[in-house]
Amino acid sequence: MPFPRSTAASHFVAGMSGTIERFTNENLACKLLDIGVRPGSRLRLVRKGPFGGSWYVKIDQQCLALRKQELACILIK
Amino acid sequence: MATSGTIDFSKTRPVVGLVGNPNSGKSSLFNLLTGLRQRIGNFPGVTVEKKSGTLQIEDLPPVEIIDFPGAYSCYPTSLDERLVVQELTNPKGDLFPDAILYVADVTKLDKHLLLFTQLRDLDLPMILVLNMADLIKEEGLQVDVTALSHRLGVPVVAVSARANTGIAELKKAIGGLLRDPQAFRPEEPFYEPGVLARDVLADLRQELPARNDYHALLLAHHASWLKHVPEETRHRVQKARVKNGFHSLRAQVEETMERYDTFEPIVHDTVRRAGAKASFSDRVDDVLTHRVFGPVIFVVIMLLLFQALFAWTGWPMDGIEWVFETLGNTVREKLSPGWLTDLLVDGVIAGLGGVLVFVPQIAALFLFITILEEVGYMARAAYLFDSLMQRFGLNGRSVVALISGHACAIPAIMSTRTIANWKERLLTIMVTPLTSCSARIPVYVILISFAVPEGSFLGFGYQGLAFAGLYFLGILSAMLSALIFKLVLKSQERSFLMLEMPDYRTPVWRNVGITVWQKVKTFIMEAGKIILLISVVLWGLSTYGPPAAMEEARAQVQKTVEEQGLDEQAAEDLMASEQLEASYAGHIGKFIEPAIRPLGYDWKIGIALFSSFAAREVFVGTMAIIYSIGSTEDELRIRDRMADEINPDTGQPVYNRATAWSLLVFYVFAMMCMATLAVTKRETGGWKWPIIQFTFMTTLAYVSAMIVYQVLS
Ligand SMILES: Nc1nc2c(ncn2[C@@H]2O[C@H](COP(=O)(O)OP(=O)(O)OP(=O)(O)O)[C@@H](O)[C@H]2O)c(=O)[nH]1
Ligand SMILES: [Mg+2]
Repeated sequence: MPFPRSTAASHFVAGMSGTIERFTNENLACKLLDIGVRPGSRLRLVRKGPFGGSWYVKIDQQCLALRKQELACILIK
Repeated sequence: MATSGTIDFSKTRPVVGLVGNPNSGKSSLFNLLTGLRQRIGNFPGVTVEKKSGTLQIEDLPPVEIIDFPGAYSCYPTSLDERLVVQELTNPKGDLFPDAILYVADVTKLDKHLLLFTQLRDLDLPMILVLNMADLIKEEGLQVDVTALSHRLGVPVVAVSARANTGIAELKKAIGGLLRDPQAFRPEEPFYEPGVLARDVLADLRQELPARNDYHALLLAHHASWLKHVPEETRHRVQKARVKNGFHSLRAQVEETMERYDTFEPIVHDTVRRAGAKASFSDRVDDVLTHRVFGPVIFVVIMLLLFQALFAWTGWPMDGIEWVFETLGNTVREKLSPGWLTDLLVDGVIAGLGGVLVFVPQIAALFLFITILEEVGYMARAAYLFDSLMQRFGLNGRSVVALISGHACAIPAIMSTRTIANWKERLLTIMVTPLTSCSARIPVYVILISFAVPEGSFLGFGYQGLAFAGLYFLGILSAMLSALIFKLVLKSQERSFLMLEMPDYRTPVWRNVGITVWQKVKTFIMEAGKIILLISVVLWGLSTYGPPAAMEEARAQVQKTVEEQGLDEQAAEDLMASEQLEASYAGHIGKFIEPAIRPLGYDWKIGIALFSSFAAREVFVGTMAIIYSIGSTEDELRIRDRMADEINPDTGQPVYNRATAWSLLVFYVFAMMCMATLAVTKRETGGWKWPIIQFTFMTTLAYVSAMIVYQVLS
């Protein structure tokens, strides 16, 4: 069995989901934690925004809009 | 205050603050508690709208209720949130509440208790208000209020600001807490400062004016920007932070994680939810935020909105116009002729009518925007356009400002406080006034009839198309200006979108009504004041002049009348126009005439332009004054008077197509609103940006208007 490696959420495509392992940027981590996104939360990329660049994301029950750079700081396992 | 035992009611009225996460329903609850007994002001030092109102509870003295902006935690990322932390960490401040109503969305309790535990650790007397109780049954929730109250150590009340339930119980709880603030002091904190914060706290604890450890910790985190922390303390905090290697962000992460671990079990034990189902919002969002349909639907909504705006507001506007015309005529008949009557009819009544006639449009525009906001659509619009906006140096949230700007730039500029990145926020502030606010509507309406012939193409009236074109020109210039600013300004600061999209909800109509009423009231008061003042000043300037010049004009007219044997009517008209030319206003107009000649304007337009720089809607009132002075007998509509105006040099109408277009373009671009400049100054903290804003917009207006006139004439 391959060792489960964590991936940045920005590598996902629409429809994929996983569990958040940790954040790689402290600034962003603080903001995400404040609105209730934590390691252990389930993240699903629902759809890509028009004009590229932003994503409609569902984390647990919550709908969020995140940019690609922001997703890049979220590691998924 | 909690530490001072009982509240000293004799000194000031007790203050109760509504605090909670964004969208938890604070403002809805505030509206329900205070009704129309609200005052809108500003929080000291900053232009965050401060709403306060009074509430009468049993035999207590009236309680002052303050609606604070929404915040997620005591670690603010936007200016709005900073304000909450600033006031709640300042026990000596005027706004420091004697009690807090912590409003939480009962369906999101697992997220909304973070800030609650933080405020609780500050030792503030609190009541936990579980709002949206109407959704408890709908979403299959079971909430054990008694157990929650026991575990959290505060009174808990379930209310619904929409269905108006639980309010009596809430008032009783407020009364109880104000009478006995000591009753619910916390026994132990939810969080003890961890290893990352211990050293710096040990160093600072004695020196900081803090109520307890957590208060001290927050001061250590935020000393650099908290206004109530003296400079000296700031330095000391900074030194202690460096000495102990205090890492603010890491400490924050540690604290937040620990807090979740503490309150999660409490929520788990007291709130039970049925299985999650694909919600209504998700299905709606499949369409409304679709990659292709989303933006298309947005554009359609905007088109319908403006279409409805003009279709629905025609008859009330005609009504108001009629009322003021009748009023003016009646006053003139009833009062004896003289300067006072002239001042009343030509200055005051004409000026006020010019403002009030646009109230239906402004009200309708605010109505639509408020509904979109209440429903939850604005957040979607921000998501849809974030990528596009970023290319222009703006943020998805700028969309909200750019839409609201079509009603009035002032609340629009204030709404940019939710944009955390300074450059994006500044750009939004700079370009928002280019969107066509409702004060431009009167100017457009009058001038378009000179610029565009009547008639229609494929069912669309030419004039309506031109109107839409002007709005489009405004938005286009806003985006392009943002692009230019983006290229000129450099910034390293990281920008974020990270936007929460609330569930779709039917609006609470009480909220909509109150918001619209307040915006309209502000408009009438603010614009009304300026316009009334300017009307009177202008009337004075155009009636009086340098005595020698006025005398000379009079003699000149007398001579002409005798030579040409003019009848009484013509003589009067000639006298009036010669006197206007000789008056102070005439002198001002003549003085700036050379500068505006290339734009196709004469000195009379110069007077209107000059007075418009205080507030652009004055244009119409000024026209009324300038042209009714020409003939006081018949009360022709301003538009007809303007159409009759002939350029004495060329014998052609003054308001030809080229001049009208040139004026229209000028009014699209020019910065003609003192109130907006004042808000820009406050929001950017200095004169630099308002001056730049004024200069760039006015230059743009001048150059474009000149090009338009030269090309068309
Ligand atoms: N179902 C339901 N919806 C509510 C209730 N109270 C408020 N809402 C809705 O919740 C949304 C947010 O309400 P607001 O009062 O603006 O929330 P707020 O806390 O003032 O938000 P911010 O000022 O952004 O922090 C609105 O769309 C309201 O219609 C309630 O009791 N039940
Ligand atoms: Mg609010």
